[in-house]
Amino acid sequence: MERSDVRSLYLLAAFLVCAYAMPFLVGAWAGTVRLDERWLGNLATVVVGGVMQGGVYAMFALGLTLIFGVMRIINAAHGEMVMMGAYLTWVAFFYLGVDPLLSIVLTLPIAFVFGVVVQKLLLDAAVGAPELTGLLITFGLGLAMIYTAELIFTTDFRTIPYAPGTVQLTSAIAVGQNRVISFVLAVAISTAVYLFLKLSRLGKAVRATALNAEVAMVCGIDVRRIYLITTGLAAALAVAGGALVSIQFGFNPETGVLYTLQAFAIIVLGGRGHYVGALIGGLMLAVLENLVSLMVPNGTAMVELAAYGLMISVLLIRPGGLMGVKEG
Amino acid sequence: MSARPDGIALEARDLRKAFGGVRAVDGCSFAVPRGKISGLIGPNGSGKTTTFNLLTGLAAPDGGEVLYRGESLAGLKPYQIFRRGVTRTFQVTRIFREMTVLENMLSVTGLDVPDRVARARAEELIAFVNLTHLRAEYGGRLSYGQQKLLEFARALMTDPDLILLDEPAAGVNRTLLQHLLDHIHRLERQGKTIVIVEHDMNVIMNHCERIFVMDGGVKIAEGPPAEIQRDERVLEAYFGRRR
Amino acid sequence: MTRVEHLRNLALLGACAVALAILPHALTVYLRSFVLFTMMYVVLALSWNIISGFTGYTSFGHVAFYGIGAYACAILVADYRWHWLPTLGVGAVLAAVVGVAIGYPVLRLKGPYFAIAMLGAAEGTRVVATVWDGLTHGGLGISLPSAETSLETYDAMLVLMLLTIVVAYGVGHSRFGVRLNAIREDEVAAEALGINATLYKLTAFTLSAVFPAVAGGIQAYKVLYIDPPSVFFVQITIAMALMSMLGGKGTVIGPIVGAMLLYTAQELTWVNFPTAHLIAYGLFIVLVARFMPRGLMGFAIDRGWVRKGMIH
Repeated sequence: MERSDVRSLYLLAAFLVCAYAMPFLVGAWAGTVRLDERWLGNLATVVVGGVMQGGVYAMFALGLTLIFGVMRIINAAHGEMVMMGAYLTWVAFFYLGVDPLLSIVLTLPIAFVFGVVVQKLLLDAAVGAPELTGLLITFGLGLAMIYTAELIFTTDFRTIPYAPGTVQLTSAIAVGQNRVISFVLAVAISTAVYLFLKLSRLGKAVRATALNAEVAMVCGIDVRRIYLITTGLAAALAVAGGALVSIQFGFNPETGVLYTLQAFAIIVLGGRGHYVGALIGGLMLAVLENLVSLMVPNGTAMVELAAYGLMISVLLIRPGGLMGVKEG
Repeated sequence: MSARPDGIALEARDLRKAFGGVRAVDGCSFAVPRGKISGLIGPNGSGKTTTFNLLTGLAAPDGGEVLYRGESLAGLKPYQIFRRGVTRTFQVTRIFREMTVLENMLSVTGLDVPDRVARARAEELIAFVNLTHLRAEYGGRLSYGQQKLLEFARALMTDPDLILLDEPAAGVNRTLLQHLLDHIHRLERQGKTIVIVEHDMNVIMNHCERIFVMDGGVKIAEGPPAEIQRDERVLEAYFGRRR
Repeated sequence: MTRVEHLRNLALLGACAVALAILPHALTVYLRSFVLFTMMYVVLALSWNIISGFTGYTSFGHVAFYGIGAYACAILVADYRWHWLPTLGVGAVLAAVVGVAIGYPVLRLKGPYFAIAMLGAAEGTRVVATVWDGLTHGGLGISLPSAETSLETYDAMLVLMLLTIVVAYGVGHSRFGVRLNAIREDEVAAEALGINATLYKLTAFTLSAVFPAVAGGIQAYKVLYIDPPSVFFVQITIAMALMSMLGGKGTVIGPIVGAMLLYTAQELTWVNFPTAHLIAYGLFIVLVARFMPRGLMGFAIDRGWVRKGMIH
C-alpha cells in the first residue's frame, strides 16, 4: 500500500477507537454508566443485540453497495425500499394473515420486479451520467415513495407483534427472539447472495460489470440486463431487510430516511462497492448506535447524529473506507 | 525572482514518485535551458507523464525537488505554481465545456488588470488562434482541433515564461499542427521557454533544440536531436536490444 | 454584457422593486403573504444556485442556514427582548461562521458525497436544535411575541430579495463567477490556471449561506412560531434545489423564474392535495433530473433565445 494509504488507515482506526469510546465517556460524565454486574450484563446484551441488528443492516447495505458497485449510482431511495418491505410485510400479516417470515417469499419477487421497473424507467439514463443525476433521481423517487405511503397508511407507527419471547444466550445476556431470528435469516440471505456473486455465472457477470462495464460488454455480457438484475436484487435485499426490521421495530413512512442514511454510512465505512466491507460496516455501525443509545442522554436522537458523524468523518479521513476502495 | 545566470529555467532534481509499489519516476534529473524549446520523450511507461505532473504540481514527489528559476516548488499547489509563471496544457484537452470560448479565456487568474484589459487580451489571443468566429460558442461544441487551440491560447493569457505542452500533436492534423508549431516558435523568439512531451518524433526532432529521453523512470540521455537519434541507449529503449 | 445592458437590467430591477413596494397596499393579507413567500423562495433559490449552480457543489443541506437564521431571530426576540431587525444581522453572521466551519472540511468532498454530507449537516443541525433545549426550547419550539405588521416583514423580504438578486447578478457576470464556473467544469484544470479552488469555493459557500439565514429570520418573525421540524424541513432544501434546477441552474434568471413558477404551482395545489402535492414534488425532481437537467433557461439557450455564457 502507498504511504498515504497506510497513514489514512491508521487515522481511521484511531478515529473509530475514539468513536467507540465516546459513548462511554459521555455516559460516565452524564452518570448513565454504572460499573456493576447488572449494568455490565446490560451492556453485553446491548452489544450482542447490536451485532445481530448489524447483520440485518449489512444485508440491505449489501443491496446499496451492489447498485453503487455495478452502476456507480447512489440510491437515495434505498431506505424507502426497506420501508416498502416493512409495509408489504405488514399488509400481508394483517390483511392476509401470512406469517411475516413466510411472506418474504411473496414480497421478494415483488421487490425484484419493482427494482427492474425502476431501473428500466429511471436509472438506465443515470448510468453513464454524472453521479449527481442518479442521486437526484433516486432522491425524488424516495420522496414520492414516502408520501405515497403516507397517503395510504398515514404517518401512524405500525408494528408487527411477532416472536415476542427472549432467548437466553448466557446468564446475563438475553436477546429478543425476533432479533435472533432476523439475524439468522439475514446472515442466510446475505450468504446466499454472496455465494451467488462469487460462484454462479450470472453472479460473476455482475461482478465483471462492476469492475469494468465496457470490458464486460466486449466479453459478451449483456450489460443492460445485468443492470436490471442488479437493481432488482438490491431492491429484494432492501425489502427483505424491511421484513426483518418490521418484526423488531415500529415503522412509519419516514423511518426509511434513517435507513438510507445508515446504509450510506455503512457502505462508506466498509468501502463502497465492497461486499465484505458492507458486512463489517453494518456490524460496526449497529454496535456503535446501540452503545450511543444506551449511554448518551437523548440517545435516540443522537443515534442519527452518530451515523452522520461516522459517515462524514470517514469520508474526510479515508474515503475508501476500511477496505480502502479506490476511486473510479 | 531573477533567472539563474547559467540560463536554466526549470530543473528536476532526483525526482521520485511511486504509485502503490510501481516506481513511475525513480531518480530523474534534468535541467531545462531558458528561452529554448526542449522535448521530453520516452517509450510508454517511461514515467514522462508522471514527471510532467510533478513539474506542474499536479502530483507531489515522494523524493527530490523541482526548481523554477532556482527556487524550489516543493509544497506549492498547482495554482501557486501557475502564479509563479509556469503554465501547462493537457494531453486530453481540459477546456471548460459548458462555458464559452471567451469565458474559458477569462477564467485565468493572475492578471491584475482591469476587466477591459483582460478582455482585450483574451480577444487578441482568440484571434491569434483564429477562433474569433467561435468566441461565443460553448467550449464543448468545438472540434477537437479547435479545443486544442483554445487550450493553447488560454495558457498564454498571463504571458507566462515557461510553457509545458503535454502531447500537443496528439489527434491533430498536419495543417493545424504546423499552425501550432509556428505559434510555438514565435513564442520562443519572444524569449519564452517551452517544454514539449511528445510521441511524434518528427515534431521533437525537427523543432526541439534539446531533448531529454526517459526510460524506466530515469533520464537515460539528453542532448541535441542529432545526438539523440544516434544514441544507443535511446534506440534500445524504443526498439529493444540489438541482437 | 455591455454597460448599456447592465444599466437596462438595473433599471428593470428598479422598476420591479417599485412595483413590488407599492403592491402590498392593494392586496389582501393572504396575497401579501403569498408574494412574500415567493420572494423568499427567490432568495433561497438564488443563494443555492451560487454554490450549487455556479460552483457545481450541489448542497442538499442549505436549509441548515435558513434554520440558523430563524432560530437566531426567535431566540433573541423571544428570550432576550431584542428588536427583530438586528437579529437578522446576527443570523447572517452566525450563518457565515457556521458556513466556513462546515464548508472547510466538507467542500473537500466530491459531487454526490458533498451533497450527502450537507444533508447530514442539515439533519445534524436539526438534531442539535431539538436536543439543546436550554437554548432552543427543543421540541417545544419558540413562540414570538406578535408585534409585527405584515408590511414590515414584507418590506424586509423585498429588500433582501433585491440585495440577493444584485449579488447573484454581480457574481454571475463577473470574473469571480467565471472562475466558479471553471471550478464546476474541471477543478483540476481550474487550479492549473491559478484558481485557488479552496478559497473560491469557501467564499461562494459562505455567500450562499448568508441570505437564507436572513430569510429564515424574517420568516420566523412573520410566522411567530418555530420548532425544529418546521424550520429544518427537508422540503425547503428540495424546493431550493428544484426551483433552481427547473429554471436553469448556473444562470441568474433561472432560479428567479423557477422559484416563481414552482411556488405558484405549489400554492395552487397544496390546498387541495396536501400529501399528493409532495408526491408530485418527488416525481417532479425525477423528471427534471432525467429530462431537463439544464432547466428552462437551458432550453431557451438551445433555442437561441438567450445568449450562451454569462460574459459576452
